[in-house]
Amino acid sequence: MGLRNWRKYLNKVVLLVLILIAGILFELFTGPGEFTGEIMQLRILRVSLGIFAGGVLAFSGGILQGLFGNPLVEPYTLGSASGAALGASIGIVLLGYANPAFSFLGSLMVGFLVLTIARIESGLLRDRLILTGVVMSFLCSSLVMLIMIGGKRELYEIIYLLMGYLGIVFTPERRFIFLLISILSLFIMLYLYRFHREFDIISTGVETATSLGIDIQMFSIKVFILTTLLVSFIVSLVGAIGFVGLVIPHSSRMLFGPRHIKNLVGSFFLGSAFVLLADAMARNLVVYELPTGIITSLIGVPFFIYLYRFK
Amino acid sequence: MDAIEIINLYFSYNHKGVLYDINFNIKKGEFVGIIGPNGAGKSTILRIMAKILKNYEGRVNILGRDIRGIKQIDFARIVAFVPQETHFLYNYSVYDIISMGRYPYLSPFHRLKKDDIQAVDWAIEQTGLEGFKTRLINSISSGERQMAVIARALAQKPNILLLDEPTSHLDIKHQVRIMELLRALNQNGFTIVVVNHDLNLSSRYCDKLILLNQGKVYKIGTPAEVIKKDIIQDVYGIETLVIQHPGRKIPQVFFK
Repeated sequence: MGLRNWRKYLNKVVLLVLILIAGILFELFTGPGEFTGEIMQLRILRVSLGIFAGGVLAFSGGILQGLFGNPLVEPYTLGSASGAALGASIGIVLLGYANPAFSFLGSLMVGFLVLTIARIESGLLRDRLILTGVVMSFLCSSLVMLIMIGGKRELYEIIYLLMGYLGIVFTPERRFIFLLISILSLFIMLYLYRFHREFDIISTGVETATSLGIDIQMFSIKVFILTTLLVSFIVSLVGAIGFVGLVIPHSSRMLFGPRHIKNLVGSFFLGSAFVLLADAMARNLVVYELPTGIITSLIGVPFFIYLYRFK
Repeated sequence: MDAIEIINLYFSYNHKGVLYDINFNIKKGEFVGIIGPNGAGKSTILRIMAKILKNYEGRVNILGRDIRGIKQIDFARIVAFVPQETHFLYNYSVYDIISMGRYPYLSPFHRLKKDDIQAVDWAIEQTGLEGFKTRLINSISSGERQMAVIARALAQKPNILLLDEPTSHLDIKHQVRIMELLRALNQNGFTIVVVNHDLNLSSRYCDKLILLNQGKVYKIGTPAEVIKKDIIQDVYGIETLVIQHPGRKIPQVFFK
């Protein structure tokens, strides 16, 4: 790559960092209440949660779109998000509140169910994973609806969970969980990032990837399990924030090109900035806080159309 | 030692037989064409040789070794495969595509080293893509795109090159350019196996033709031995006129 290309890349990175900083400031210094130590501490936690959730979702989306060679795939296509919603809904009915352990287990169980069903037949596992994931998502959604109708009282809480919401209550216990899964996710992401060349090659075709020496079956299973873990972490904490995992990787590809060594990093930071800005709006648009996931779609679509049309 | 040996090869897909008891050898440095009607099993056989399809019965040796015992990544340094009509979903640059051919030689996070860059430059030079390095793969013509895919295979620095209908959908200029390139590579020691529908092109460039029909080897031999009126009538079920090329001692097929 020439010097001019690097400079262009650098300019975009600087722009991205500025957007991210804007998102952080916006999230920290807007909204009701004074800037007391306690409120600021909560907001700093919320900012970290936003950076983490947005980044991980967009990063996972970027990885899956590369692995499946399909720009319509997102982390939730594979069933883990609806699994988390189902787990959490069951938790809400049983315990009376959303327990991250229930979401996490629901997500993992559906993820592994998808993998098991997709593996039953021989042949190209990769394509069957998508279909199985979509089918299982529908099943889980129906079950969630059933629970919602059965337990009218819990309806409101389940809706926030389905749409995704950053304003969770940080009990000391949850702070510890958050810290733990942030560290774990960071390691998983660094590990996955090492395979940026594999994602490049696989996105150009399965046969080519095989003939270049990649064991596509094993690789797909490994990546599927690790992204399911990542997504389970996120949805167990903040619910299923939509749109980020689908559209941010696209946007990152448009800004930074198709090579995963660049666009995965771009996806992470763009995803973070995007979720922070969306959450700041979700907190300030109306008198009560909206689910973050509503705003991500509302501001995401115009952003995407702009990129698609004018870049 | 032969470049490729196929011994008692059977293959079925969804309980339907595709290949039955295939046996043939390809010598080092040969330029072999695999021909036959649609559904004869040409592409399947090529994919088995490329270690892409693995659930076959029988044995395939490459340079004397059973390919089941060779790791995929080591295999990629010996054999390169050029798929038919590659679609690119994401718009990589031509240089990015070609340098993917160095994958079997890289370790994670390692940038392309001197050897790798030399191999990529050599592949670019062979395919005449010097002016296209920074172009995006979806913005060039399909002839150039096919050249880029061949260049990626060359960057693997293989001994054996397998190509699945590399000239289909291309104009005659690009057809000839690709076949000339393959012949030049063949003269430099590459063993080349091409699946091709075009009998005349195969006859013109290949040393040896393997004619498949309904999953079996129908005939193996020089173009003069394989491209015959009766054989074509029998395999394709159409009447043709087979005439010797005016300038060369090879057969050419004409429709009646």
